[in-house]
Amino acid sequence: MNIIDVEGLKYKYPDTDKLALNDVSFKVEKGEFIGLIGRNTAGKSSLCFALSGLVPHFFKGAYGGKVLVDGMEIKQHEIGEIAAKVGLVFENPFSQMTGSKYSVYEEIAFGLENMGIERKEMIARIDESLELLAIKEMKDQNPFDLSGGQMQRVAIASVIAMRPDVLILDEPTSQLDPQGSAEVFRVVENLTKEGMTIIMAEHKMEKISQYADSVLLLDDGELIDYDTPENVFSRDDLINHGIAAPMVTSVAKAMGMKKSDTGKYPVTLSEISREMGDQR
Amino acid sequence: MSAMTLYVEKNSIIHHMDPLTKLMYVFVSIAATYIVPVHEFVFLTAAFSLLLIIIGKVFMKILPIIAISIILIISIIIVQGMFHPDNKTVLFSIGAITFYQEGLSYAVLLTVRVINMLSAFGVLILTTKPDELIERLIKKGMSPKIGYVFLSVLQIIPQIRATMGKIADAQRSRGMETEGSLIVRIRAFFPLIGPVVLNSLNDTRERAIALEMRGFNTKGKKTFLNESREYPYRKIIQFLLIAILMATIVWRVLL
Repeated sequence: MNIIDVEGLKYKYPDTDKLALNDVSFKVEKGEFIGLIGRNTAGKSSLCFALSGLVPHFFKGAYGGKVLVDGMEIKQHEIGEIAAKVGLVFENPFSQMTGSKYSVYEEIAFGLENMGIERKEMIARIDESLELLAIKEMKDQNPFDLSGGQMQRVAIASVIAMRPDVLILDEPTSQLDPQGSAEVFRVVENLTKEGMTIIMAEHKMEKISQYADSVLLLDDGELIDYDTPENVFSRDDLINHGIAAPMVTSVAKAMGMKKSDTGKYPVTLSEISREMGDQR
Repeated sequence: MSAMTLYVEKNSIIHHMDPLTKLMYVFVSIAATYIVPVHEFVFLTAAFSLLLIIIGKVFMKILPIIAISIILIISIIIVQGMFHPDNKTVLFSIGAITFYQEGLSYAVLLTVRVINMLSAFGVLILTTKPDELIERLIKKGMSPKIGYVFLSVLQIIPQIRATMGKIADAQRSRGMETEGSLIVRIRAFFPLIGPVVLNSLNDTRERAIALEMRGFNTKGKKTFLNESREYPYRKIIQFLLIAILMATIVWRVLL
């Protein structure tokens, strides 16, 4: 069953002339991990906002087409309702902390309080997210006392606790140091194992090729390609869309090493080493 | 990062009181000192507020707050002592300056009222967690948005201050002088405040998005992580406070 169904989505921010999203259509199945790639201003964030209802409800502007999440049309519902189905985490961990809560535990509770979840259920959900995001030991700390990576994990936990069907991560590690990014990717990996549907916009192609079932390539607001990582990263015109393939793929391209089964370039280390093994 | 709160974590009976009862006490005790302008009564009220402060184990915290208001108190004494319209009885003179008994007596009344006001607020603010107070008010029907504003300000202002420090360092490292004479400081003000304001606006927009995504605008009924707990003697104390307020009004009318 398709959890996300986007049909001919067009969107223009208020007071601009250019379409930020131009006729984008795609479908996502439940439990899939979609990597969203494209140069800056390609429309990645706009697409994330469109899936979470911020476009058109928060940003206004001109809107066309249809976005369905779990059968619910985004345009016809309020953000509050959508937030129960779609969770969004974005770049800056600081501004995602509400600022009205004095401990990580209460911070995670914030969304649940707004949704009107019963207290018992709330505690169960908070404990579960604390566990999943590996932040149990800091549950009594003030969110603002944490490091960037820890804070970002709290932000993800706060969204996960609301049990959305889809988790959208809009460049979740671009403002973090390497250690913080590693922490966040580790929990993202856990979440994929839990079978959560995840859409992640990211510039670190190695991570995309490692986790993604499919890659969605955007440029200039248009959907260029939506395919498996090896098909997308094997494209010859990748550089024209402002994307550099993962290091592994670049090396394989330079060496002319294609996968024997699909005829495409390998995208992960394990694939390339398998190829090397075959050739040896 | 410490939040901007005066709350002192202690274990006392005052700390365990219902925040709303304390809030009520603030209103009643301040109102009472104005409704009944009798020296003995006002003294007694102030003494009682201070007693609560002492029971709450925060007496040392209220002293600097009272000390700050000394300037106000001194000016009250001088102005009232010298110029109160009812002044008749000369108490003493220092050179050409004469102090009158009526004025000084009124000044003492005002001073004690100020001390009572500070102490009563002290009882509330020094012994109550801000989030506990706001949550009680929201449960009583205050808008969660207003509650959010009060609570977030306490944490976000220190954040902005930290950003300001970073921006000041950045500008200084690019050779801008931020210390020295008044002129230098004024000149440094705009390159500092500009980025701070823009930065805060951007943060505010992002925080608004984050709040939306956490369902802050959902219309349904909210629930609370913290259970409403039963506060000791809540009803009796609140009833007594209302009774006292009534009594002072009756006293005033009969006076």
